[in-house]
Amino acid sequence: MSKETTSSKVVKWTLISISIIFVVLMLLLPLITVITEAFKQGFTVYEKAVTDNYTVKAIWLTLEATLLAVFINTVFGLSAAWSLTKFQFKGKKILTTLIDLPVTVSPIIAGLIFLLTFGRQSPLYPLLQDWDIKIVFAVPGIVLATIFVTFPFISRELIPVLEARGNDEEEAAALMGAKGWTIFRKITFPHIKWAFLYGVVLCAARAMGEFGAVSVISGHLRGKTNTLPLHVEILFNEFQYVPAFAVASILVMLAIIILIARSLIEYNGKKKHKVEP
Amino acid sequence: MKRTNRSVIPGFGLTTGITLTILSVVVLIPLASLVVFSAQMSFSEIIETITRDRVLSSFRVSFVTAFVASLINAVMGIVLAWVLVKYTFPLKRLIDGMIELPFALPTAVAGIALTALTADTGLIGGFFARFGVKIAFTQIGITVALVFIGIPFVVRAVQPVLEKFDPAYEEAAGVLGASRSRIFWKIIFPEIVPAALTGFGLAFGRCLGEYGSVVFIAGNKPFETEIAPLIIMSELQEYDYASATTIALVMLVASFVTLFLVNLIQTRNTKILKGGN
Amino acid sequence: MYVELKHINKHFGNFKASDDVSFGIEKGKLIGLLGPSGSGKTTILRMIAGLETPDNGDIIIDGKVINNVPASKRGIGFVFQSYALFRYMTVFENIAFGLRVLKKPENEIKERVAELVKLIGLEGLEKRYPSQLSGGQRQRVAFARALAPNPQLLLLDEPFAAIDAKVRQELRHWLKEMIAKLGVTSIFVTHDQDEAIEVADEIIIMNKGRIDQIGKPLDVYGTPKTSFVASFFGQPSIFKDYSKFNSFEAIEGAEQAIVRPEFVKVTKKNETQKYGKSAQEGVVTDVAFRGSGIELTVSVNGETLTARRSFDEPSVSVGEKVDVLVYRIFVTAGDNAFLLENKSLREPVVVI
Repeated sequence: MSKETTSSKVVKWTLISISIIFVVLMLLLPLITVITEAFKQGFTVYEKAVTDNYTVKAIWLTLEATLLAVFINTVFGLSAAWSLTKFQFKGKKILTTLIDLPVTVSPIIAGLIFLLTFGRQSPLYPLLQDWDIKIVFAVPGIVLATIFVTFPFISRELIPVLEARGNDEEEAAALMGAKGWTIFRKITFPHIKWAFLYGVVLCAARAMGEFGAVSVISGHLRGKTNTLPLHVEILFNEFQYVPAFAVASILVMLAIIILIARSLIEYNGKKKHKVEP
Repeated sequence: MKRTNRSVIPGFGLTTGITLTILSVVVLIPLASLVVFSAQMSFSEIIETITRDRVLSSFRVSFVTAFVASLINAVMGIVLAWVLVKYTFPLKRLIDGMIELPFALPTAVAGIALTALTADTGLIGGFFARFGVKIAFTQIGITVALVFIGIPFVVRAVQPVLEKFDPAYEEAAGVLGASRSRIFWKIIFPEIVPAALTGFGLAFGRCLGEYGSVVFIAGNKPFETEIAPLIIMSELQEYDYASATTIALVMLVASFVTLFLVNLIQTRNTKILKGGN
Repeated sequence: MYVELKHINKHFGNFKASDDVSFGIEKGKLIGLLGPSGSGKTTILRMIAGLETPDNGDIIIDGKVINNVPASKRGIGFVFQSYALFRYMTVFENIAFGLRVLKKPENEIKERVAELVKLIGLEGLEKRYPSQLSGGQRQRVAFARALAPNPQLLLLDEPFAAIDAKVRQELRHWLKEMIAKLGVTSIFVTHDQDEAIEVADEIIIMNKGRIDQIGKPLDVYGTPKTSFVASFFGQPSIFKDYSKFNSFEAIEGAEQAIVRPEFVKVTKKNETQKYGKSAQEGVVTDVAFRGSGIELTVSVNGETLTARRSFDEPSVSVGEKVDVLVYRIFVTAGDNAFLLENKSLREPVVVI
């Protein structure tokens, strides 16, 4: 449809303007607010808040939880994707639904269920006490909750790509006697590289930012069980607004890096698609 | 689970085993604990907890704000998807990249940023305060926060539909004499409605359970701006596990129902598109 | 002329899709635009419909230049290769679409759609969705939809490309009948030579954005004017030097010789043949079974030819020495094609 009439031009630019205003208001402004509030009292105050002992400890805890969550979800994601796409068995649909379940659960409930499973009310509690394992109100609990909320992120990226590709290449390799790990490494993985990276980035982003679930299960012990988002909350609730935003700005920077990484991966993934037959 | 096919591809036992183990430990058992714990209470106790005025009011607040926010996102999502697919304009790439910000940004950070922005002292809040409209600490504020976190859902659901849309449909309608507006409403709109509805459902489900971005901006006044996840949190802080669990159960049921309805839409849509009577 | 194109040029980036295209079509005729992929035929069709704009040149329908008339106002029916039936509308609503745009009264719409549904033979299926129809049925609905608003011109873009071979035959006959019955001027695009020959009143052959030849199917097939047209039809054998074959007049500047299988007669050494003197000896190098007969590859005087024999003739085997007679050859020099007859055939000599 070639020619644009005046009325369609008016519609076009009205829609574009509405979109830009919406995005600026809802997305850009909040971002800018964090930065402006963080530096409201100047750079020294900012620096102090960011290098504060508790902040540093929170950063380490966040990184630790994120890394563990990403690691376990990678193992899980790869196993689940392999199991669900390479084999036929009954109950696949139920399995997929169960794996996707955590995404639909409110983070508060996500924290609550671990509280119930490993906390004082649980029948497991006496056992844990005997072995001197602390899960609730300790780091392991935080890690578990983080794993829960990011559970299907990697498998959900891998499964569609694997399903679209089919199993022909892997079957051919298996018939020639190749072992499982070799097949995976040499044949399957190169094709899912970008989808995998994408899933890892999504998983890490969510893990770093998880708040609700961790809030329930952490016990808010400063310096011990405080992740970055929890630290932000504490500072904010103590009316230490500038430090709160200062710490928040760290997370904002991470978020921007994640967005850029996501765009790059998507761009590269699409490029790869064009080259392949 | 029966093993029907012996596939030539190795790794069935290992991957399925890992999948099921991790799934059980991280998802199934904790979720089961919720049910087990609630089962300890009698039916009448459960009903009594749920029908407490404060609890009912929190359900209402959650539901209404989630619905309105998702509706706004449905409309804006279609507009944004349309603008991003059909038009070129400056900053388009930037806007496209920013859509995922609500997923990349920790909910706590979004929460404090939006609070600062919409408080009476904030940039936007100050503007509206002159008209006597308060945003932060009211249900409007909650809705704003929920709009923020729901932006990507409808946009990213509708975008691929528009991108893959065969131009032949529009051309066919055009040659038959249809105006741009008729083409949109009669041809294009029915195609994007299912995707928009799916996005709406997912956004709605997410909004119902949202905690981090809402808890700061809501002010958490019982009966006015207290959302369901928050009630659970406060019950937990008072060690009233029973109430917390019951309310959590209701919320869980609500998310499942939402998910089920979304699935229903997608199945019905596939039926129209793929045939069958 | 009802439809005229005058000196149409169109390019996409560096690619020239239409190169000084001019032709005219009489009212009521069914014209086939034939050519290989990339020859520019679909571009011409789309420009007539208004879906593309020519760089320069005029498009005239019924005496009026319509270059600046938007596609939605040209009163043209278009059947897309993929049919583009509206997926969320029933068969009835699809066909009624053009009429609703014209704001026709409801009972008129009902009548017209019923008439068309009967015409295409799909009574009872009005409430179905496109996904519930077979390929052939969808094609017919697309046809009806294009015809509903009584267009002055009907354009079809490779209408049978997506259909099974068997159904394709039936639909070709059906389409030709329908269009003859309705008398609507029609142009269809195809890359299938058999289709063009069977269906069209006249064929326009396009190659690399230019028109090579226009004419009735028989003329285009039997009297090709360019080397492209000569080699496009049939399954010809092509070679440079045809002097290896006896009794053909030499043409100056000849570049290529094209021999169609139907121009070659292969006879076994022990069979009677009419023109024994004119025949040359050849060796069979391949025997292949084709659905309609046997296809032979013979080597004659160093050149390879394809020939055909029917099932009821005695069989021939690989390596057998046979007599090969070439009746005629197309010779091309530059852009021109010449039809040469075997000179020795002018004197029939019967050999017993």
